[in-house]
Amino acid sequence: MIYREAGQFKTSYASDQAIFPIAQDRWLVVLAVVAAFVVPPLVASEYWLQAILIPFLIYSLAAIGLNLLTGYAGQLSLGTGGFMAVGAYAAFKLTTAFPQVSILLVFVASGVIAAGVGLVFGVPSLRIKGFYLAVATLAAQFFLVWLFNRVPWFSNFASSGTITAPPRRVFGVMVTGPAATAQVRYLVMLGLVTVFALAAKNLVRGRVGRSWMAIRDRDIAAEIIGIRPLRTKLLAFAISSFYCGVAGAALVFLYYGSAETLAFDVNLSFLVLFMVIIGGLGSILGSFLGAAFIVLVPILLTRAPRLVGINMPIDTQKQLELMIFGGLILFFLIVEPRGLARLWQITKEKLRLWPFPH
Amino acid sequence: MHALYAVLVAPFVDMATSPRFLVEVLFGGVAAGLMYSLVALGFVLIFKASGIFNFAQGVMVLFAALTLVGFMERGVPVALALLLTVAVMVALAFAIERLVLRHLINQEHIILFMATIGLTFFLEGFGEMLWGSNVKRLDVGIPDRSFMVAGVQVNKLELTAALTSGALVAVLAVLSQRTRIGRALRAVADDHQAALSVGIPLKTIWTIVWSVSGIVAIVAGIMWGAKSGVQFSLSLIALKALPVLILGGFTSVPGAVVGGLIIGVGEKVAEVYWGPLMGGAIENWFAYVLALAFLLVRPQGLFGETIIERV
Amino acid sequence: MSEAAPSAPLLLVDGISVRFGAVQALERVSLEVRAGEIVAIIGPNGAGKTTMLNVISGFYHPYEGRILFGEKDRTRLHAHEVAALGIARTFQNVALFKGMSVLDNIMTGRLLKMRSNFLLDAVYWGPARREELSHRAAVERIIDFLEIEAIRKTPAGRLPYGLQKRVELARALAAEPRLLLLDEPMAGMNVEEKEDMCRSILDVNEEFGTTIALVEHDMSVVMDISDRVVVLDYGRKIADGKPAEVRTDRAVVDAYLGVSHD
Repeated sequence: MIYREAGQFKTSYASDQAIFPIAQDRWLVVLAVVAAFVVPPLVASEYWLQAILIPFLIYSLAAIGLNLLTGYAGQLSLGTGGFMAVGAYAAFKLTTAFPQVSILLVFVASGVIAAGVGLVFGVPSLRIKGFYLAVATLAAQFFLVWLFNRVPWFSNFASSGTITAPPRRVFGVMVTGPAATAQVRYLVMLGLVTVFALAAKNLVRGRVGRSWMAIRDRDIAAEIIGIRPLRTKLLAFAISSFYCGVAGAALVFLYYGSAETLAFDVNLSFLVLFMVIIGGLGSILGSFLGAAFIVLVPILLTRAPRLVGINMPIDTQKQLELMIFGGLILFFLIVEPRGLARLWQITKEKLRLWPFPH
Repeated sequence: MHALYAVLVAPFVDMATSPRFLVEVLFGGVAAGLMYSLVALGFVLIFKASGIFNFAQGVMVLFAALTLVGFMERGVPVALALLLTVAVMVALAFAIERLVLRHLINQEHIILFMATIGLTFFLEGFGEMLWGSNVKRLDVGIPDRSFMVAGVQVNKLELTAALTSGALVAVLAVLSQRTRIGRALRAVADDHQAALSVGIPLKTIWTIVWSVSGIVAIVAGIMWGAKSGVQFSLSLIALKALPVLILGGFTSVPGAVVGGLIIGVGEKVAEVYWGPLMGGAIENWFAYVLALAFLLVRPQGLFGETIIERV
Repeated sequence: MSEAAPSAPLLLVDGISVRFGAVQALERVSLEVRAGEIVAIIGPNGAGKTTMLNVISGFYHPYEGRILFGEKDRTRLHAHEVAALGIARTFQNVALFKGMSVLDNIMTGRLLKMRSNFLLDAVYWGPARREELSHRAAVERIIDFLEIEAIRKTPAGRLPYGLQKRVELARALAAEPRLLLLDEPMAGMNVEEKEDMCRSILDVNEEFGTTIALVEHDMSVVMDISDRVVVLDYGRKIADGKPAEVRTDRAVVDAYLGVSHD
């Protein structure tokens, strides 16, 4: 009875086009965001922040990026790791060259650089479609990782392409580097994610999102209506790579502290793809749900057996993890190809009717 | 100037001044290429018969190799171990058809592709759980030693691998072109529903095809495993097979061979003669960039059918 | 519309030939469509009708002949450029974007008129928002006109066939085209749905003055609503004139009854 739209009439197109047309949804999201800013820094333990919340936010951002490209625009990409690497190394070079520039600006700038690289590797997408495009993105993935590994300039001549985040302050508070607390890093990341997720939601419900979905669903008909395929696809690659680039920079600067190219290899690309599939292709909420899922499963696998009293060796944990990931992907694809986001939607629909059966 | 010379002239000079070395490099490339072809073949078979892009082919190679080694480590004689492994792969094919494929018949290609990615991860974990995850030695009785032929060094193991792959490819090519099963496969690849309506048993065909693919995977697994040990990175070969498929087309058996050879030779030559200029390890990405360049010129690959789009 | 002199046609197709491999789909076909007319293109199956529409939309390019729209040669233009000129169409096998709602589908028809850049879109404020709302208003007028208000939030993939065709028409109208190409708009409909669609097509022509070229099999519809009829057979034009003339034309009767050609 509580979750009802009855009595909520939209009297203007503006209110109908709002992101959360149902009042209850709006309140829920506002509350959730406020809670996210206030509660964890006060209550959560260092472990929770460091091992769960921060990576969750970072992966969500990357998942949104991939979702925009693959879920909304229909361009399958296996190069996410490579674009994240571009963001990370660009941020590193920029901040070591211009240490006085705010690290937030550096993040945005490295996102823009990643967008540029994404544009270049997106050019083949006009001629190449489907799986073939996936292989082209693999070229990007392998080439970029090799580049950062082998060309020492990118890592300021450190060994094996390792980059370390130098300490940086924002408004006097230490944000990166060993002295930065988990709370501060969490808040910075949360801020970034809130802003960019909102931007993404605005993009997908408007003109840009529609042209992406049109290309995805029927690219030939879309072209005949007047959508310019190359421009639309390139925009998707650029914006997606921007998000992945910022996520990559955050991965090193706000989470790992230092990383080498191995952190961005093809397994990362697959990991983000899983988040997007399990969470739901073509859904911003799905990107969050998928990221949460992928972050939590390994944690559960390490904690749960101990709670039940079984001592599982690390090897077996890893193997089980792989099996569960694989099994869940198969499960979702068979049962609900549209992922957790769709399941959530169905739940909401049931809630609307509750307590009536139909 | 010096850089231009180093890139455009010096490597060819190197090739010309030591032709025997060049032959060795080429042979190494051909051997590697044929092994790529084997894996690509597994893809092609399944794609031809069901339109499914089986990303799990690589992990099937790994799984086959792990199973074989697993049996042999437990003291089972080679011949029996081989037979048992074949049985396991066939059983795997049945299981995949029953539990996964059957439920995904009408889905779009991208969903099927992602399902095979899920399968990959599942089988990887499962295989390692069954047989352990440390690197294993696979000894099939062929020494990894080289001998000299006309002044050129030839590796016995690579030679055997090349010959076996070649033979297997030839057999499969003949089978698919000449026999009834081959024709049925081509019908199924073209149109599932039409094939069903003329009485071709889809599920049986799929089980057969995945089994044959499994056997191809065993051969590939043996060849690769004997050379570099049976380990997880074997499944990365699946990724390498993708450029091969791009060059050769997704539905052509001869294409898989030609594509494999081009990639194998191209990679080796690039690595040996141009690699040092760029810091080495260009093998990691050369194949993909080559495939990409190819796609830009001819989006359907060497042997694929020209795509006519209809509205 | 005023750039064409009173006697010059809006669309002039002059000697178009199209080949697919060994199949001659169209052979030196010429036709013209005047502003404000409704022209029907008919013919037996395989005559090349849909190919003709595809050539006009810029999806296929002829190897000989030219196409003039508003007196300008645009034979070589690509599909999206043709759309920008003011030619919209519907498709034989409904080409709606199944993943989007009816409203969003129709909004994609307005894409050519949208000017905002993506950065402003991301913020959804100011000019981006105003533009979005004004387009929404325009789309709602079309939804009103075609009486499909009830289904505007339904995902297009879930609609019954007849409604999908209506939505496709709405999407084409959203572009405010000068020339509307309809590919078998009545296919698969029952009598009631056909009458509704006929009414809508006539209304579009009367109220907005849109020029219409349609491919259709249903003879009664064709006779009822078209000003002129063009008949194709085996890729060639065999008749062109008023409906009553064409109906009794010898060549047309032969083509439909299957008298053998050489």
